[in-house]
Amino acid sequence: MASIRNRHLGLIYVAPALIFVIAFVLYPLGQLVYLSLTDTSLLGGGEWVGLENYEKAFADKSFWRALWFTVKYTVVITPILMGLGFALALLTSNNSPLRLFTRATIFLPVVIGLGTSSLLWYWLLDQQVGLFNKILLDLHLVEEMPVWFTKADPALAAVIISVTWKVIGFGMILFVAAIQSINSEVLEAAIIDGANYWQRVWKIIIPLSMRTLLLATLISAIGSMLAFDQFYIMTGGNPRGQTFTSVYWIYQNSFISFKLGYGAALSIILTAIILFFSAIQVFLSNRSGTE
Amino acid sequence: MTMPLLGRMALALSLSAAAFAPVSASAATLSLWARASSSNAAQHMVDLWNESHDDKVELTTIPDNQMVTKLATSVQAGDVPDLISFDLIFMPDFMKAGFLTDLTATLGADPNQEKVAQAFKDLATYDGKLFGTGFTPDVSILLYNKDLFTAAGLDPEKPPTTIAELQDYAAKIHATDPDNISGYYFSGSCGGCNIFTQAPMMWGSGATLLPAGPDTPVMEGPGVVEVLTMLKDMWDAGIIPESAESDTGANFTATFETGTVGMQGSGGFAISSLKANHPEMNFGIAPLPGIKDGDQSSFVGGDVIAIPTGAKNPDLATSFITWSLTDEAQLEGLAKNLILPVRTDLADNQYFQAEPRYITTAEAVAIGQTPYAFHFNDMVNADQSPWLTMIQTAVFDGDVEGAIEGARETMLEIAAD
Amino acid sequence: MSAISQKSAPMARAQRYLIGAVCVLVITLMLGPIALSFFASIKTPAEASASPPNYLPQSLSTENYQKVIDYQAGLFTYASNSFLVAGMAIVLCLVLAVPAGYGLARFRLPGKEVIFVLLLAPLMIPYQAILTPIYLNFSKIGLANSHLGLAIVHAVLQLPFSIYLMRNAFEAIPREIEEAALIDGATSLQVLRRIFLPLVIPGVVTVMLFTFINSWNEFLAALIFMNKESSFTVPIMLVSVRTGRLGAVDWGALQAGVIVSILPCILIYVLLQKYYVSGFLNGAVK
Repeated sequence: MASIRNRHLGLIYVAPALIFVIAFVLYPLGQLVYLSLTDTSLLGGGEWVGLENYEKAFADKSFWRALWFTVKYTVVITPILMGLGFALALLTSNNSPLRLFTRATIFLPVVIGLGTSSLLWYWLLDQQVGLFNKILLDLHLVEEMPVWFTKADPALAAVIISVTWKVIGFGMILFVAAIQSINSEVLEAAIIDGANYWQRVWKIIIPLSMRTLLLATLISAIGSMLAFDQFYIMTGGNPRGQTFTSVYWIYQNSFISFKLGYGAALSIILTAIILFFSAIQVFLSNRSGTE
Repeated sequence: MTMPLLGRMALALSLSAAAFAPVSASAATLSLWARASSSNAAQHMVDLWNESHDDKVELTTIPDNQMVTKLATSVQAGDVPDLISFDLIFMPDFMKAGFLTDLTATLGADPNQEKVAQAFKDLATYDGKLFGTGFTPDVSILLYNKDLFTAAGLDPEKPPTTIAELQDYAAKIHATDPDNISGYYFSGSCGGCNIFTQAPMMWGSGATLLPAGPDTPVMEGPGVVEVLTMLKDMWDAGIIPESAESDTGANFTATFETGTVGMQGSGGFAISSLKANHPEMNFGIAPLPGIKDGDQSSFVGGDVIAIPTGAKNPDLATSFITWSLTDEAQLEGLAKNLILPVRTDLADNQYFQAEPRYITTAEAVAIGQTPYAFHFNDMVNADQSPWLTMIQTAVFDGDVEGAIEGARETMLEIAAD
Repeated sequence: MSAISQKSAPMARAQRYLIGAVCVLVITLMLGPIALSFFASIKTPAEASASPPNYLPQSLSTENYQKVIDYQAGLFTYASNSFLVAGMAIVLCLVLAVPAGYGLARFRLPGKEVIFVLLLAPLMIPYQAILTPIYLNFSKIGLANSHLGLAIVHAVLQLPFSIYLMRNAFEAIPREIEEAALIDGATSLQVLRRIFLPLVIPGVVTVMLFTFINSWNEFLAALIFMNKESSFTVPIMLVSVRTGRLGAVDWGALQAGVIVSILPCILIYVLLQKYYVSGFLNGAVK
């Protein structure tokens, strides 16, 4: 149906969005590149310094530590979100009332802002006024009052608990959609062949949901690499700056230390890294994909 | 930065329009930005002004830690408020950057300006010029729980006058019920809280803390080692609760309110909030002690008021500032609402008579200091600032000497930037 | 499900109970935090910051809500601004994303992959970093300090997800429907309006829902772009109302703020639930 004649017609439909993105994202991104080559500060300045900011960035241990921490966060949380999301999708994918209701409540936190949910958990996990610790104690799940934010690993765990609660429903709903779109005849044929439930999950449901799984993994991983709000609100980079994420470090440099130019250079580096790994992921999934 | 052509044309047009417009008596509206934590005080001043003036002032509240960004971007965009009230600690950075209007000719000649607390005068001066004045001050003090003093056999009317006494009292208070009662509290992950409450104990004893330039003393003199060692010892002995380590300031006030803390460095603002939320609590206020009796000092914090560069109604804005220093504004706008006046001659006023604790804080304004430093945010407030790192390394890791050495190095790096 | 039917009856029952129990546990975990927050919000301010805390309020108080409602310009002003910005962002987002999704899904575009990747670009850039350049650009063209300017930023941030969703929604429509219409001599715009739009309504609603949620909750751009108390949005007020001196948190006001910012989102979610679920089912799988 789509003939050559239609090609330009299609462009007309896409053009407004494209112009918008160019004007409000790519053009400012270009300005950001320029900014990264100057010593611009919030308090003034703006001299051309060439690649000085980039040289500084490559020697900035705190930035690389923050980046490493962000990678660690991403590597830990992505499988949790995907695995748990998929498990919940299996749990709720058929449409009985209880399961529909369960699905609806799992999705509920998705509609809450990330900032709001981070605040909510920041309070729940607070050592002095929080109720989460009290619940753990009262249910005898822990012996002593846990302290979340004085060590880097428990602080990371706290953020992961909070973010998992907030976004697990998003992955789940994508997976429910994928599972429900699987041809029921295929599953029935497998049952006749004597495959039990878990065999069907492994041999049919997961392979047929692979495209969705890979895509959700990519989106989720990019989101985690850009994590900011949850750490800004919950850990404040503590303890001792061990929970700074890359974006948090960029924010810190740009707005707390006023070094816009340097912050811009860090942003460009981060964007390049994300772009690079996204490209690899897309390349790999296209190769292994079922297209 | 060159002005875009369009902007220049618009400016020329508006100037010529102004030149031809008849002189009108119609009232103007001034915009005033204030940071959230002092907006309550600012609102009282604004209300009082609006009652008696045709030209109105409109208050806009900016979240505390976004104030600097907000002002800087608005100056760059050429769209600034008429007046701005912000943490006085940023004065040096803003004056140096050229963000503020020189008020030497007008405000400098105002007799009331003479009586403003010295700390505000110092912080608002750059290059011999005056750029603003105190607006809604606050001051750090030692807050102590009188009931816990009594329970520990201490005299509730005799707060500690030296840091040795403070440590001794804290240990005694803690000993009354080691599982539930702490002798002392501080927010261990909050740079701002600690410059406000621990630093005066150091500089009161004679220390110089933040560098004024690249080759000036940093963390030198008596008080630095002593105060850090005292905090470390109290931490090691369990006199300070464990939750102090991770407190980014969120529980800066909530912890003392639970009634389980003997003493804590806090601010004058705590008096009103404690009286409102915990009328049952029997608490006292004292100056922050130093090494010797007589070394007491304080951090003069709170807000300055200034006019950003490029503001559209500088004359009217200046008249608001000079009005804010009058007896009427100081007494009816601030003191009447139990907020400290900026003029030291009004410390002892009719409204504070009923509550001697306010007079203690008002007097602390006169003896207090404020560090004059560029890059204050970087050195102190930032989430991983050298100041905060020093306290954490000294108190929680126990390495006092190494902590001070590390802070010196990083602060000089920042100062040289 | 047939998985259960092949097993013996008692086992099937046991399995059903087990699944039921897991569901109830999950529901508790998901709703618990919101419920606790609600209970905390109706405590007195003193009790809300008490340590150790209570699960349920000892005495009821609307003081925390009063504080949020009366803060500075008043909750009504902030909420109106937020709704206005979210409304404009939704319109912008739909006006851009629906045609773009249609174009990407139903036409053979030159350089389609490149275009698609460009459209997804906002996803990969730390948006905090480009806010300052955008703000300075906007101040040159008069869009700074305007709700429209803020709505544009919110729409742009939401665009990748929206375009992606709409593209999938259009792709899911069987080709026969379109071909029949084209044979009847309809133009592509007529096809879009008369035939496709009704079919992608769930996708449209999903886009609306998410644009609303993200605009309603966005803090940093709102703060940088708006200059007046009377034009601020809800998140800015909530940050101010809960912070005291030196970052001290007013826990009671925080809880009231959390509930205030959650409430409209949940209401809209519950009202539109039947649409967005099928929005995902139709759209997001491809």
